[in-house]
Amino acid sequence: MIGSLGGLLRRAWTHPSGRWGALALVVLALVAVAAPPLLPDPAEMPDAVLGATPPSLAHPLGTDQLNRDMLARVVVGGRISLSVAVLAVLVSLTLGAAVGLVAGYAGGWVDAILMRGVDAALAIPRLFVLLLLLVVWEHIPLGALILVIGTTGWFATSRLVRGEVLRLRHEPFVTASEALGATGWRTIARHLLPNAAGPLLVAATLGVGDVILLEAGLSFLGLGVQPPTPSWGGMVLEARPLIVTAPWTAIFPGAAIVLTVLSVNLLGDALQAALDPRGA
Amino acid sequence: MIRWLVRRTLQAAATFAIALLLLFVLMRLAPGDPLSRLVGDRDVSAAEIEQLRRRFGVDQPLLIQLQAFLAGAARGDLGVSIEHFPDRVTTLLASRLPATLLLGGVVLLLNFTVGIWLGVRQAVRRGSRFDRWTGRLALAAYAMPGFWLGLVLVAFLSLRWRLLPAAQMTDPLLPAGADGLTRALDILRHLALPALTLSLTSIALTMRHQRAAMLSVFRLDFVTAARARGLSEKRVRWGHAWRNTLVPMLTLLGLWLPVLVSGSVFVESVFNWPGLGSLAAQAIAARDYPVLLGTATLVSGAVVFAGLAADLGYALADPRVRPS
Amino acid sequence: MFIHRLLIPALFTAASPAAALQRSNDHGSAVIIMGQEPATPIPTLLNGSANIAVSDLLFLRLARPGVGLSTTDERAFEPQLAQSWSRRDSLTIVFELDARARWHDGVAVTAKDVVFSFARMRDSTVDAQRALLLRHLASVVAEGDRRVVMRFRRAYPEQFYDASYHVQLLPAHLVDSLPPGPRFTSSEFVKRPVGNGPYRWTRRDPGRQLELAADPGYFLGAPKLDRLVFLTVRDPEAQINLLLDGTADILEAVPPVSGPVRLAANPAVKLLNIPSLSVLYLLFNQRAPGDRTRAHPILGDVEVRRAISLALDRLNLARSTYGRFALPADAPAAQAHWTRGIVPRGTAYNPPAARALLASRGWVDRNGDGVLEKDGVPLTLRLSIPATSATRAIMAPQVQEQLRRIGVRVEIDRLDFPVFIERRTKGEFDLDLSAANMDPSPSGIVQSWSCAGRGGSNVGWYCDPGLDSLLDRAIYTTGSGGRTWQAAYARLQGDVPAVFLASPAWSVAVHSRFRNVSIRPESPYGDLWRWSVDPGRRISRDGTGAPSR
Repeated sequence: MIGSLGGLLRRAWTHPSGRWGALALVVLALVAVAAPPLLPDPAEMPDAVLGATPPSLAHPLGTDQLNRDMLARVVVGGRISLSVAVLAVLVSLTLGAAVGLVAGYAGGWVDAILMRGVDAALAIPRLFVLLLLLVVWEHIPLGALILVIGTTGWFATSRLVRGEVLRLRHEPFVTASEALGATGWRTIARHLLPNAAGPLLVAATLGVGDVILLEAGLSFLGLGVQPPTPSWGGMVLEARPLIVTAPWTAIFPGAAIVLTVLSVNLLGDALQAALDPRGA
Repeated sequence: MIRWLVRRTLQAAATFAIALLLLFVLMRLAPGDPLSRLVGDRDVSAAEIEQLRRRFGVDQPLLIQLQAFLAGAARGDLGVSIEHFPDRVTTLLASRLPATLLLGGVVLLLNFTVGIWLGVRQAVRRGSRFDRWTGRLALAAYAMPGFWLGLVLVAFLSLRWRLLPAAQMTDPLLPAGADGLTRALDILRHLALPALTLSLTSIALTMRHQRAAMLSVFRLDFVTAARARGLSEKRVRWGHAWRNTLVPMLTLLGLWLPVLVSGSVFVESVFNWPGLGSLAAQAIAARDYPVLLGTATLVSGAVVFAGLAADLGYALADPRVRPS
Repeated sequence: MFIHRLLIPALFTAASPAAALQRSNDHGSAVIIMGQEPATPIPTLLNGSANIAVSDLLFLRLARPGVGLSTTDERAFEPQLAQSWSRRDSLTIVFELDARARWHDGVAVTAKDVVFSFARMRDSTVDAQRALLLRHLASVVAEGDRRVVMRFRRAYPEQFYDASYHVQLLPAHLVDSLPPGPRFTSSEFVKRPVGNGPYRWTRRDPGRQLELAADPGYFLGAPKLDRLVFLTVRDPEAQINLLLDGTADILEAVPPVSGPVRLAANPAVKLLNIPSLSVLYLLFNQRAPGDRTRAHPILGDVEVRRAISLALDRLNLARSTYGRFALPADAPAAQAHWTRGIVPRGTAYNPPAARALLASRGWVDRNGDGVLEKDGVPLTLRLSIPATSATRAIMAPQVQEQLRRIGVRVEIDRLDFPVFIERRTKGEFDLDLSAANMDPSPSGIVQSWSCAGRGGSNVGWYCDPGLDSLLDRAIYTTGSGGRTWQAAYARLQGDVPAVFLASPAWSVAVHSRFRNVSIRPESPYGDLWRWSVDPGRRISRDGTGAPSR
């Protein structure tokens, strides 16, 4: 499995956009992890009276309307957004794989019920599900937020895994090992991962982009990540009154979102192309 | 064929029913007292509370509650709004639907003309700089949050350069006797920025779908045959190849609706466009749970219906897909 | 009719299409932006400043305070529905109604309307606040069609103010058949009110706009602004945008720091600074949220409240929100109140003292998470703010941060305005950033800070009988005014029912084409009927405005 993943990554690397995407992500991740100790405290309001100041040497990205350093806030916000996205996607992957495995292997009415449920869940836009939950759960703790976002995003993954399981089920080596007495269950699990790893990785990568946009949107509506914890969407919300007089307060957090999601999507695209060269 | 249609429709109805069930579960799952969510903070008389108790049966067995909820939805009764009490949720939804349909329709139009044209061009010039860079630009636009792009566009196009209005759907001071053309133009001016925002952030979807569909069609024999017959490239491209992508593009319509609806929550609230999206955003700020639930129900129904329509269109258009 | 020359350029010009109508030169119309919807600008249904402001155009009083807001001098008042007044003795005032005054349906305004309106509004089940303000009024009697005699139970300086200011008249002939309650609120009168002011009701588009048309027969002079449109726009951003692109003419609450900067982009918009009647304060809920029978578990302790007030840098809060020259308020005395100058100095910023005070009351951080606890309960407080208030959006995070430094965790609830009001009224909050629009007289303080105000404006449920008697003395004894007020304020400060933050100057944005502009602190649109438009600067919508009904 590692081998096939490695091969996939190598092939993705040959795409220029994939290369840029991957590089940008690595840089972003490094900054998010390593930079905060080097930067001022994002909650510091040295002189709130000064309000928003344009970018300068002391504050490379300027300050927001409470005179907090924008660079520090964008970086810490990035840390939050990236961790929420990655963890939520992990939750989705796990849930989706589990359900897909069960549905594909069990077949019959279990499969039918599960898939009908997945269809129904896919009919309700993810944003609305989250809105209905978060509107009543004011001040949701970050961990619960991650779980909630993750639990709403596994449906397409389960389909994917189920498809793979169904395909594998009819492979000769599975029927053969079943005839020999080994439970098909284990065989499938052993062979599932290498085969599904590629598409799952692509789905996960693109999923990270989706969650970043989703979480930014929720923070913009005042749900999701709560102040004073900085979040990119929350920063755009606070910057709204200043969009004309202090545009940098809104532009930088938004640009951070665009950069991150774009990198993630470029990488995902390259991985997809590496998987299936015909579509490139 | 009819049998298939009936079966498929029943399937769609079942899916919608399960979606309603999921919404019901969601409503009960969230922390807090479910009744308070339906009543909010307003002063309610004891009689009203009793009535709500009976309807949503919060102290009755869950199955009865579910039954009441589903029955209500089937009747078209989605409850009463908290913020706009005593307006019914269905009334509110109906009043806001036209604005969203208008915006959505225009966005659909923009997407499916410009997006298709670009997608075809990309496929034809596959691998070229045009192909690669249009793809990247579209992806960059897709990565933009709708609320951010909307704000930036307003800041520059409305406020700095005064080209277009910044908010709402109509000019409040339009004289009462203004003719239809004036009104239409006024709405169009107000429509421009929200439609632009929504289209830009979703055009990547259309472009990619179209591009992929064209590429797969190009590989088919009849295209080579058409070329061999000496038909002009343009005729091959549009007359033969593109025609065959219509069917796969139908699936895009089904995918596209949830994207449009979710995006419109942000874009409509930034532009104060009086549609379903801004209704949902206001319901959030007002903790108006019945309206949110009603909007989610309506949207789910629309998505299921769109999927059914797409399938039907698919079956009608491509005889190979039709079951025997 | 209007002829379109080219369609495409029409799409991109900012000017709206014009309709040509002949009108006298200085007439025009005005578009006014309201942050909340004035859905019921009708006396007895006046909840919210939007309703109050618009009602001044529809329903008049007997008299109103003159410029300068001296509420204790009878001669300084301006006539409205009462043409003149006189005294029979120190307890009795006689009003003579103006014979020209008429309701919008043509019926004359008579003494019967006065008697009826006072009876309605002194009913404490209908309007508890007004009943409280009018508690010293003994009787209101009509003598004939035009004369009203009011008797008070005691003599005090603001007697005339109470007699004339608090009640706007309702038409007896239309409303006396509608008892207060659902029959009234769902009646045709509330859907299409009939008033006696310079403007009459045209139509309302729920949630969006309200239109009023000038009453050319208004007895004090025909208004020059023929048409008023009140647009409901909640979002402060959208409000400024509408001013900047020329769709709107007047905005009452311009965000103090960013507003003027942004509005500079449209030189046609002028900013007026009006001494305001508002005071911003951080209110403590003295009772348990959701259960007023118990004291608040954390804020019931006056030392905790005092500690919080020590931890807030009020000077910086005021300046960062309202500009460099803002000063903090130390008591509920607004800029426009005469008592402002005699308010004793409030607490100084002293975070170490705050920490020490909390520690002395048993609040210590045992588990090192940065939040103080006592008996296992963390010091967490929820702060409610309306989502659309720009000033609260700046203040709340600073309050949160300053309190975080002494170990108090504050969670901010951004709520839609009606929900914010509901929660406040029901006492479901810990902290609340209130902006009170006070009455012209400092005596309005009883509504929010006296025991009798509980159930009305006193949502924190603060009650100190000692303060009540001091206020009584200050309001009702002639002569001892200044020093008793000072003592009352000092006592209020000692109880710390709230941390007073600022009494800001008020910025109103007005389009520069209007002439004879005057905005009153207690009634922003009360003088709109006197405004006119510079004939050389009329714009397209000034030419429209034939009353549609």
